[in-house]
Amino acid sequence: MGKENPAEKALNLIRGRLCDPTFVFRPLSGPPDSNYSKLKFIVSTSITEGCNNSILLLGPRGSGKAAVLDLVVGDLMEEYPDSVTLIRLNGLLHSEDNCAFKEIARQLCMEHHLLFSKMASFDENSQFIIAMLRECGLAHKTIIFVLDEFDMFAQASGKQRLLYSLLDAMQSVTSQAVVVGISSRLDADQLLEKRVRSRFSHRKILFLPPSREEIDSLLEHLLSLPADSSFPSGYVTQFNEKIKNITSDTRFKDMLKTFLNANSTVNSLLKFIFRAVSSMNLESGLLSLENFKTALSSMLRQPKLEAVRDCSILELYLLVCMRRLEVKEQSSYNFISVMKEYKTIHDSFQTSDFYAQNVCLRAFEHLREREVICYAENRGQSQAGEYRPMKLLISASELHQGMRSHACCPAILLKLLDH
Amino acid sequence: MPTIAGPSLSPHKRIVAARSENTGCPRSAEDITPRKRKLRSDSAAAVPTPIKRKSPRRCALMAEVEEEPNGMLETQFDCLDGKSKWNPRDDDQMKAVKEALHVSTAPSTVVCREDEQRRALEFVKGCMEQNKAGSLYICGCPGTGKSLSMEKLRLQAEDWAKQEGLPCLETVSVNCMSLTKTTDIFSKVRPCAIQIPPSSWLIIADEMDYLITRDRRVLHELFMLTTLPLSRCILIGVANAIDLADRFLPKLKSLNCKPLVVTFRAYSMQQIVRILQERLVELPYVAFQPKALELCARKVSAASGDMRKALSVCRSALEILETEVKGSTDEEPQIPVPEDQMVKMDHMVAALAKTFKSPVVDTIQSLPQHQQIIVCSAAKAFRGSKKDRTTAELNNLYMEICKSSMITPAGITEFTNMCTVLNDQGILKLSQARNDKLKRVSLRVDEADITFALKEIRFFRNCLL
Repeated sequence: MGKENPAEKALNLIRGRLCDPTFVFRPLSGPPDSNYSKLKFIVSTSITEGCNNSILLLGPRGSGKAAVLDLVVGDLMEEYPDSVTLIRLNGLLHSEDNCAFKEIARQLCMEHHLLFSKMASFDENSQFIIAMLRECGLAHKTIIFVLDEFDMFAQASGKQRLLYSLLDAMQSVTSQAVVVGISSRLDADQLLEKRVRSRFSHRKILFLPPSREEIDSLLEHLLSLPADSSFPSGYVTQFNEKIKNITSDTRFKDMLKTFLNANSTVNSLLKFIFRAVSSMNLESGLLSLENFKTALSSMLRQPKLEAVRDCSILELYLLVCMRRLEVKEQSSYNFISVMKEYKTIHDSFQTSDFYAQNVCLRAFEHLREREVICYAENRGQSQAGEYRPMKLLISASELHQGMRSHACCPAILLKLLDH
Repeated sequence: MPTIAGPSLSPHKRIVAARSENTGCPRSAEDITPRKRKLRSDSAAAVPTPIKRKSPRRCALMAEVEEEPNGMLETQFDCLDGKSKWNPRDDDQMKAVKEALHVSTAPSTVVCREDEQRRALEFVKGCMEQNKAGSLYICGCPGTGKSLSMEKLRLQAEDWAKQEGLPCLETVSVNCMSLTKTTDIFSKVRPCAIQIPPSSWLIIADEMDYLITRDRRVLHELFMLTTLPLSRCILIGVANAIDLADRFLPKLKSLNCKPLVVTFRAYSMQQIVRILQERLVELPYVAFQPKALELCARKVSAASGDMRKALSVCRSALEILETEVKGSTDEEPQIPVPEDQMVKMDHMVAALAKTFKSPVVDTIQSLPQHQQIIVCSAAKAFRGSKKDRTTAELNNLYMEICKSSMITPAGITEFTNMCTVLNDQGILKLSQARNDKLKRVSLRVDEADITFALKEIRFFRNCLL
C-alpha cells in the first residue's frame, strides 16, 4: 500500500464518522439532562434494583432514537456483562401475535444457547417465554424488550395481545424486564387499549431537534481531525483552522438556517455534511464554503423546475398554451386544442416561432417523456395520441419560476402566461 | 395448596409464593430482606425463593385509627412523627422505598376494598355451604384492584374451606387473553369438573370480554355451567364493562341464573392516599411529605382513579428527588446533607407534569419553520365546518401565508414530503390517493394546542388571529 494522500485519508475518516451513529451521538450524551442520561438512568436502575419499567421514546424520524438506545444498551452491556439480554422486535415485521411470540422465543433461545424448534405452537412459545422470564428473574438477569415502530403494534391487531402479555408479565414480582417502545407518533400511547395503557408506566422521552449550540458543537466534533500521528501535523492544524473559519462565516450560518428551516433532524444534517465533505477538493485537501453551497443546492433540488429549465422554446410555448387553456376554464384539452391556441397566439402576436404540426407533436412527446405533462386518463388507449386528453403535471408557479430561470426564454411568453 | 391447574395457571397472574407464617414480632429496617438478592452476591449462590412480605407492623395507635375513616389523615401522620429521618443518599433505603411503591409488590391486605371483598367472599361461602353453584361478575375500570382482590379471595376461600372442614376447594384461574381459541377455556376447566367425590370448584376468569364471540356461545356455555343440575361450580368473571351481563347474556335472565354484580368503583382521593400510606407505613422513615401524597391522589383520582398511575407518579417523583440528590453530590461533596430530605410538593408537581403532559406542544415548538407554517395554515383551514381538504388546497393556503411575509415557499414535492413527515408524527392525517395532490388532509391536533405552542412567535400569532 503506497503512501496515502492525507486528504484522502481525512476524507475517509470523516465519512466513516458520519456513517457511525455511535460516534455522532456520543457528544450529545454528555450533559446530565440529555436524553441519553435519562434513558440510561431508568434502564440501569431497573437492572440494579430489579424493578420493572416501561418507557416510550418519541420523536420525528431521524432524530436518533434508535441510535441513543443502542448507545445506552452498549454501555450497559459493558458495565453489567451477563446481566442483560436484549430482545428486538419491529412493528413492521412482527405486529401479528403469533409471529411476535415466535420471534421472541427464537431470540431467547439464541441468547441462552437453546435449540429453537420452528414447529412450536403459539401456546408452547408463550409458556416458554413466561418460564424464561421467571428464570431470568430468579437469576437476576434483566431482559430488555425493544419494540421498534411501537404504534404498529398498537394498531395492527385489535387485541394488542403482545403488548398486554409483555406489560402484564412485568407486573409480576418474579420477572425482571424493561420494555422500551420507539415510535415517531406523538400520540402512540393514546392508541393503546385502556387495559394496556393502565399497565404502561407513562414515561416518555421526547427527542427534539438539536439547538443551535448543539449543532455547532456537533459540527466541530464531526469535522475536526484528531491530532494523532497518522496525519502530518501541519495539515491537521490547517484543516481545523479552515473548518473554524467556515463555521463562523455568516454566509455559512445563513445556509445552515435555510437548510434547517426545511428539515431539522440530525439525520438530514448528517446527509448534508456528507455531501459537502464528499465534494472536497482533494488537491488542496481542505473544505471550503463552495462545498457546502453545492451540497445545499443538491439537497434542495426541485426536479420539475429543472425539467422546465431544460425545455426548448417550442416546448415552452406548448406549456404556456396548456396553461392558458386551463385558465380559460377548459377542463379537458388535447393536442389539437393546444395547437389551436398556439395558432391563435401566433396570429395575434406575430411571433417568429411557428412550427409545423409534426414538429410540435415531437415536442409534445418530449414533454410527456419528461413527465411534465401526461395523459389525463388511462383509458382510451386505442385513440390516437393527438386526441387524448392531456393534463399538466406542474403547477403554475413552478412553470413561472422555471421560465424565469430559463436561459433564453422569450419575454413574450412570460407576458402570455401572466395575461 | 397448589391449585389443580398447574400448567394451565394463567402465566400472567401475579404468582403468590408459598405462604409464610405471620410473625408477631415487629421488624426493623435492617431485617426487611430485599425481595431480590443483592446484585453483588456471586451467582454460584443458591437462588432463593421470593419471600412474601410479612404483615405490616401495626403500632397500637394505628389499630384504633382504623375505625374512623374521617380525620384519618391527620392521625396517621401523627404516628409518623415517631419515625426516623430518611437519607435518600443511602441506596438501600431508596431501594426499599421504591420497592414499596412498585406495582408488582402485592400488599398483604387489600385496603379500601374490604366491602367488595366481603360481599364476594360471603357469596362464595354461601355457595359452598349449600353445595350450590353460582356466578359472580366483577367489573370496574383498569387499575381498581380487581385481580388483586380475586387472588386474596381465592386464598381466603381455601382457608375457610379448610377451617370449616368442608371438602377441599379446587380453583382454576385463567386469563382469557392468553387463550388462542376461546373454546380453550373449557379444556383448562375440565380437570376441575371431573372429581370424585364431587366438591365445590371455583373458576376465576380474568379479562372475560375476550371470550365474547359473535354468537356469544362460549360465554353462554361458561355461565351455563352453573345452571347444570348437580353442578357445584362457582364462576367469577372479571372484566371492565359494567353491563356485560345485561348486554351479552340475555338468556341467563330467563334461566334465572343472572350473575351477581359487584362493581369496583374508581378510587377516590382519600382511598388513594390511604393505600399509599399503607404501603409506606412499614418503612421506619418518612419518605413523602403528606401534602405531596395528597396532591398526587387528587390529580390521579380526578383523571382516572387508576391506582397504577398513582404508584407510577410517586415513583417518578422519587426518581426526580434521587437525581437532584445525586446531582448535588457530584458537584460538591462537602455540603452536608440538608435536614428533612423527602419528596416534597415541587417534586410531585414535576412528576405529575411529566406524566400528564402531552408532548404535542413541545414538538410543535421545535418543528422547523416551514412545517410550522404548514401546521398554522392547517389550523386556519379547518376552523370552519370543513374538516378535511386536499393537499393542493392546503398548498395554496401555505403559499399565501409565505407570500404575505416574503418567505420563499417550498415547492410542491417538498411540501408533500413535509406533510408526510407531519403525518408520521401524528399531527396531520393524510389519506391515500393515487395522485399526490388529491390526498385528503385533516388535522389531528387541537387548534388550541397549536395556538398555545406558537404564541411566543409574533408572526404566527398574527397568522392565527
